[in-house]
Amino acid sequence: MIGLVSYLVFFATVASILAIAVLGLNLQWGNTGLFNGGVVAFFGAGAYGTLILGGVPQDGQLGGFGLFYPLALLGGMATAGLLAWGVGILTLRLRHDYLAISTFGIAVAFENLMRNAQWLGGGAQGLRGFERPLRAVLGDGFLYNILFLLCVLVLMVLTYRFLETLVASPFGRQLRAIREDETAARSLGKIPARIRLTAFVTGSVILGLAGGLYGTFYAFVSPQDILPTLTFQIWAMLIVGGAGNNKGAVLGAFLIWGAWTASGWALSRFAPIEAQLYTGSIQYILIGLVIVGMLLWRPQGLLPERLVVSQSGRTKT
Amino acid sequence: MGVRNMKRCNRMMVSTLGVAMGLALSAGAAAAQDCTTKIGAVLPTSVDWGRPIAETAQFVVDQVNEAGGVAGCNVEMVLRDSQVDPKIGVDAAKALVDLDGVQVLLGAVSSGVSMPILTSVTVPGNVLQMSCCSSSTAFTKLAEEGKTKGLFFRTFATTGVQAAVGAKVAKDQGYKSVAILYKNDDWGQDLQNLIAKDFEALGITVTSATAINDGQPSYRAEVTSALSGNPDALYLGLYPNEGTAAVREWLSLGGTQHMIMANSLKSNEFRDNVGLQYLGKTFGTDTASPRVASADSFVAAYEAKFGGAPNGPGLANSYDATMIALLAMEAAGKDATGDQIAAQVARVTDPAGTPVTADAAGFAAARDVLAGGGNVMYQGATGNVRFDANGDVSAPAVVWKFSEESVEEVEYMSLTDVDDFIASLK
Repeated sequence: MIGLVSYLVFFATVASILAIAVLGLNLQWGNTGLFNGGVVAFFGAGAYGTLILGGVPQDGQLGGFGLFYPLALLGGMATAGLLAWGVGILTLRLRHDYLAISTFGIAVAFENLMRNAQWLGGGAQGLRGFERPLRAVLGDGFLYNILFLLCVLVLMVLTYRFLETLVASPFGRQLRAIREDETAARSLGKIPARIRLTAFVTGSVILGLAGGLYGTFYAFVSPQDILPTLTFQIWAMLIVGGAGNNKGAVLGAFLIWGAWTASGWALSRFAPIEAQLYTGSIQYILIGLVIVGMLLWRPQGLLPERLVVSQSGRTKT
Repeated sequence: MGVRNMKRCNRMMVSTLGVAMGLALSAGAAAAQDCTTKIGAVLPTSVDWGRPIAETAQFVVDQVNEAGGVAGCNVEMVLRDSQVDPKIGVDAAKALVDLDGVQVLLGAVSSGVSMPILTSVTVPGNVLQMSCCSSSTAFTKLAEEGKTKGLFFRTFATTGVQAAVGAKVAKDQGYKSVAILYKNDDWGQDLQNLIAKDFEALGITVTSATAINDGQPSYRAEVTSALSGNPDALYLGLYPNEGTAAVREWLSLGGTQHMIMANSLKSNEFRDNVGLQYLGKTFGTDTASPRVASADSFVAAYEAKFGGAPNGPGLANSYDATMIALLAMEAAGKDATGDQIAAQVARVTDPAGTPVTADAAGFAAARDVLAGGGNVMYQGATGNVRFDANGDVSAPAVVWKFSEESVEEVEYMSLTDVDDFIASLK
């Protein structure tokens, strides 16, 4: 019983961290229509930034500043934000698939940078030696995991509240206006370039927060953590949950991550011995089917965006 | 007799019947054990070369069950796919530890997956982790800092052996300067760092060390920079695909045919694609070729079971990882925890212990010795495995060169030779 609870706590922590990332992507894609194909770059910048700032010194590597943990996490978010600002200035004039391709390229470049720059992030071996905050006091058992989950949940709820407020504000209307028709928005005196950049950086800072928490939880990050698969997973969560709906983003994260892990567990338990070796492949097929099915029959996601008419100029039908 | 009594009576009959049937069934099973001990495995079964590693581990479990199981119980290996994704691998490991209650975890293959499993699952959960194939030197450093709590072991000889023997070849051939081309991953970067130090210790100049990324259409830029130092020889820490491309460019640009290569290029495909006529002055190094009967018996048993030689990466290592873990479980007795099992690893890999072979009979023999309080020297598929204080293994080494048939051996270095040579470099 305690084992089940312990596992569920672990599962919920990872799912909540991913949910924060999906919320960040939702601001970019769901609300503003920015096709960010390089989610992992900002996620990774947050993870590496946090661990470099908060870790202990390693031979021949930058970092080990041993900053107070919240500062390190903020630093990780700032790293992601700075990266997004630079990338945004260069690429945000691009639209749709062009933006997707260029951000995807940036994510691949970021992974290669981390793989090669041994002085920066430990190279392909990854960055280790990070001490989880308060570990000395709490140990690293069940109690620690519970408290860590609570912190992540609080951060997730705060992110959610922040985004709900943001989207309901006049700024949120601007985002949707730009998403739907940029020319019309400009004709009303809005400056799309600046607003797009603001949304892109804000979303990336949230992705960086998720990355920072991820690195903290594992006390380790390596280039293997920031492969394009993660971008795909986070996108799948948003598509299934419902782009443009923050509740949908959180639901999608829990559902897809749940399906991903539960299918692995169920196959390892119930599939016949001969099929055991193929469970990985079967799992890929199952998850692919779910996503394809979703796109075919419910492309708006489980919880679709609710269109809000904030100042109705016509009578409601 | 009321209805309720009747019902209870019926229920009792049914349950008695169930128990009787269960007994009959279990009595019919080959190894009549009334309990099951689970061990966990997190391996990349969705990758083509990962599947045989898992099959080999399952093969060991079958052999041990044939010999009567561990501590009087049948062993069940719960296999989870890591998908070479750290998140997935860690989650699978956590599920195995928490939901299945395993005390022994086999895996993972990639260092990038094994490491977070170690730091966030097995060390906090006090579970023995035995990896067949993770080569990163980061584990050694972590162990030196005392952060593995002695719970991590691996049967894959550290890259140090390969690097040292490569440097020895350069010295024996009288090369004064060497250029290095290495694969740009954790293995390649480790190898490059280590061998550069070894060359330096032997007084050989490293003219350049160039990283080779996978899947590039051409390596002209990298090869040119390696050529620019005009080295006596070229060291290659590459895999066949990019190795073929890089060596072709190297030779066509007039690079020397004096080459030294790691075991990853020991492939007939590489030889044929480059051309044997250009490889006459090339030497290779390898680790896993011990001169003991147990290694041959592993090959024979593997061929009998799977109908082919164990040629894939990590198979002998996977076999030994699984067998040593199970022997340690046997030594630790029933319901032992991960740290108790880890403490027994030294007892089953004791160089002064009674030698046992790597098969069902060997396991049964080991059980008797251990029950009598003795120690065992496990003679495995990779030889007489012996862990150091950090859970690392050393290994015998061979120097080889390509031949018409496949490869031929030039020199064999026993475990002692290797250890002595490495010590002489320090």
